[in-house]
Amino acid sequence: MSAFLARNRLIVLAYAGMVVLLLVTALFSPGFLSVSNMRSTVVLAAFVGIVALGQTFVIIGGGIDLSVPWVLNSAAIVMALLCGGQDVPLVWVMPLLLAGGAFIGLINGVGVAQFGVPPIIMTLATNVILQGLILVLTGGSPTPSAPALIQFLSVGRIGGFPVIALIWLALTLVATLLLSKAAFGRHLYALGTSATVAEFSGVPTARTTILTYVISGLTAAFAGMLLTGYSGQAYLGMGDAYLFTSIAAVAIGGASILGGSGHYLGTVAGAMVLTILTGLLPALNLSSGALLIVYGAVILLTVSIGSETFAGLGGRLRRREG
Amino acid sequence: MDLVTVKGLSKRYGGIVALSEATFSARAGEVHALLGENGAGKSTFIQILSGAVRHDGGSILVDGQDYRPANPDAAQARGIAAVFQELSLIPDLSVEQNIWFRHEPRTLLSTVNRAEMRRKTLALLDKYKFPALRPEQELRRLTLAERQIVEIAKGLAKDPRILILDEATSALPAREAEWLLKLTRQLAAEGRLVIFISHRMAEVRAIADRLTIFRNGSTIAVHEANAVSDNEIVTQMIGRHLDRLYPERIATATDRIALKVKGFSSGSRLSGVDFALREGEVLGVGGLQGHGQRELFQSLFGASKASGTVELWGKPVSIGNPRQALTGKDGIALVPEDRRGQGLLLTKSVRENLTLSVIKRFTENGLLSRQREAALVKEMVDFLRIKAGTPEQLAGTLSGGNQQKVIFGKMLLTQARVLLLYDPTRGVDVGTKGEIFQLMRDLAAKGYAILFHSSDMPELVHVADRVLVMRNGGIAATLEGDRISEASILRAAMLESEAA
Repeated sequence: MSAFLARNRLIVLAYAGMVVLLLVTALFSPGFLSVSNMRSTVVLAAFVGIVALGQTFVIIGGGIDLSVPWVLNSAAIVMALLCGGQDVPLVWVMPLLLAGGAFIGLINGVGVAQFGVPPIIMTLATNVILQGLILVLTGGSPTPSAPALIQFLSVGRIGGFPVIALIWLALTLVATLLLSKAAFGRHLYALGTSATVAEFSGVPTARTTILTYVISGLTAAFAGMLLTGYSGQAYLGMGDAYLFTSIAAVAIGGASILGGSGHYLGTVAGAMVLTILTGLLPALNLSSGALLIVYGAVILLTVSIGSETFAGLGGRLRRREG
Repeated sequence: MDLVTVKGLSKRYGGIVALSEATFSARAGEVHALLGENGAGKSTFIQILSGAVRHDGGSILVDGQDYRPANPDAAQARGIAAVFQELSLIPDLSVEQNIWFRHEPRTLLSTVNRAEMRRKTLALLDKYKFPALRPEQELRRLTLAERQIVEIAKGLAKDPRILILDEATSALPAREAEWLLKLTRQLAAEGRLVIFISHRMAEVRAIADRLTIFRNGSTIAVHEANAVSDNEIVTQMIGRHLDRLYPERIATATDRIALKVKGFSSGSRLSGVDFALREGEVLGVGGLQGHGQRELFQSLFGASKASGTVELWGKPVSIGNPRQALTGKDGIALVPEDRRGQGLLLTKSVRENLTLSVIKRFTENGLLSRQREAALVKEMVDFLRIKAGTPEQLAGTLSGGNQQKVIFGKMLLTQARVLLLYDPTRGVDVGTKGEIFQLMRDLAAKGYAILFHSSDMPELVHVADRVLVMRNGGIAATLEGDRISEASILRAAMLESEAA
């Protein structure tokens, strides 16, 4: 057990932070711990968590996916357009859009792994291109409302549990199996730790890299569709917030932003921390501008305390003094 | 009077003695060659002279005055400049910006005086008849040889009284090398001292007035260049090593060919290499550094591109990447040169490192079986006597020797029976070295075929069944049985006339 704690110190730290944050929030805003409020917090965290799932894989592999906002947005808008408020078309629209998200991921992955384009440039470019495509497609006009089935998936409940929380749980299980119990996970950590060593060890580095971006495309597209159900309709810019939160959730969850370490279980805590924070700050009666400033500063602080990047820097500084 | 006099010079790096009581003296107006095997202390010596490294003991006199530079700038202020093998140029700057870097001519406003810089550059290039270099060329567009020439210009721009050339000809094509040799004589004629390091005996013969031989960090001999034979020099460079480090060599090679290579070429570094490695054989690959050994090993493993035919166990194979090399029993595995950069995940555990190449083997229905993995890890840790607290210990915290054993273990687990070992004992303690040699002989006895490069010649002499000596990207000689000796290897590696 102690070995487990030592190895996963940063993940444990993220959960401890989550609990502390919950208690502090409850202090400032009585009723925060009520069942209904916790339920809505988990639902909001699930959107962050699902987008951050793909981001976790990409970051562990040593990359980053900045195309998340418009993959999410595109899936949301195209779904609303194709379904026109009806449930039936979802049967083919959902698989189609998941495949679309995976395809964007494939392009990102091939660009990075086969053509050596830096991940930041590659994914930023696909993000902008998708944004342009969607603007051309919609002309900026609003879309029909979301199909009822999608609304059920994002705000409905089964036996008192939000459906989306159950989906999130299932995805967490799959991600954990992939990272901890599959050869793919081992290859992924090796790739993120040192691409050269991984290559010299016979790891299929290109295939592994591409797969992480495909997963990220899938989860971003899936989250986009669910989010449409949550807000009742799709609108331009609905994915913007998820760029920052998906990366912050991974970092707060203890992954090194340089790759090679971290786990989705940590990202889950990271998503919760971020969402609780957005619940705490309004209780402090700050203006919306001040709110954003505090939000950003708190995230910066949280990431700095936990992240290995920072710990590594601290180590370097200490050595120089010594 | 001597321009430089060095007495009792010593330098230690931790427990390793790089220089011990080395002496050296040289006059203005001479070309003085510095000779020695890899690791003899030449590099440390010139690093101290050029201000890059500070010595622990002994004295250096330049012009009769104590000399102990704090950094390369201080060395240059005393008129000493060095041209190293590893280039110090900035790819984004132009040729002239590199030549005058941090010593640019200034205007009254202290900005760079471009016109003056151009004028001085052209004057310098003209004075020493530099081969085609344009001052405004961006450095990144130049070939390695051209960069080497810029580096020489940069050294000369400081108008040094002592110029150190560290294997400056090794990156140059024949014509440019010729030019450099003439330049060296010209500099000496101007009254400068040129300290010239080269592994090419013919060059040393052509230009050196005197030569100093280093071995194991000490000065062995000083000769007038025309009063000593090549063989004498080679013998003095090698000296004698007495060691019980090496296991008994029992010939275990069979007639079966494990690896057959024909017309193997890669860029300009490897040209038309042919050889056959037999089952049960340890085949050494020797020669001076930088003559294609690295390219040979990396290309065979698929880590860099090459042309030519390769057969493994009688079957033609095409290996485009390491993944295609590590194909189980019929595969070919590499213990790479750069242990920390290519071999090991330093921040991961011994277990994760050992099983990285074969992790698929432990999966059932796509899920890893930790028990089966742990069992095999334990077996390998015991077999190789890897000293780690637990298999969960991070590889980066192990000693150099144990790190090397982990890499061996990783490659043995792939079950490949053709092993490429590139300098596997470098930075490894003596005890582990002995274990590695024993392991190599044991594996050979089991039918493994081993291609073995070492930068330490005695290892080749005592461990290998046969030795291929490489020179200029090709195989200069194949030595067998009693013909394997340090002298014969060095002779084949250095003396053009003795090509076999």
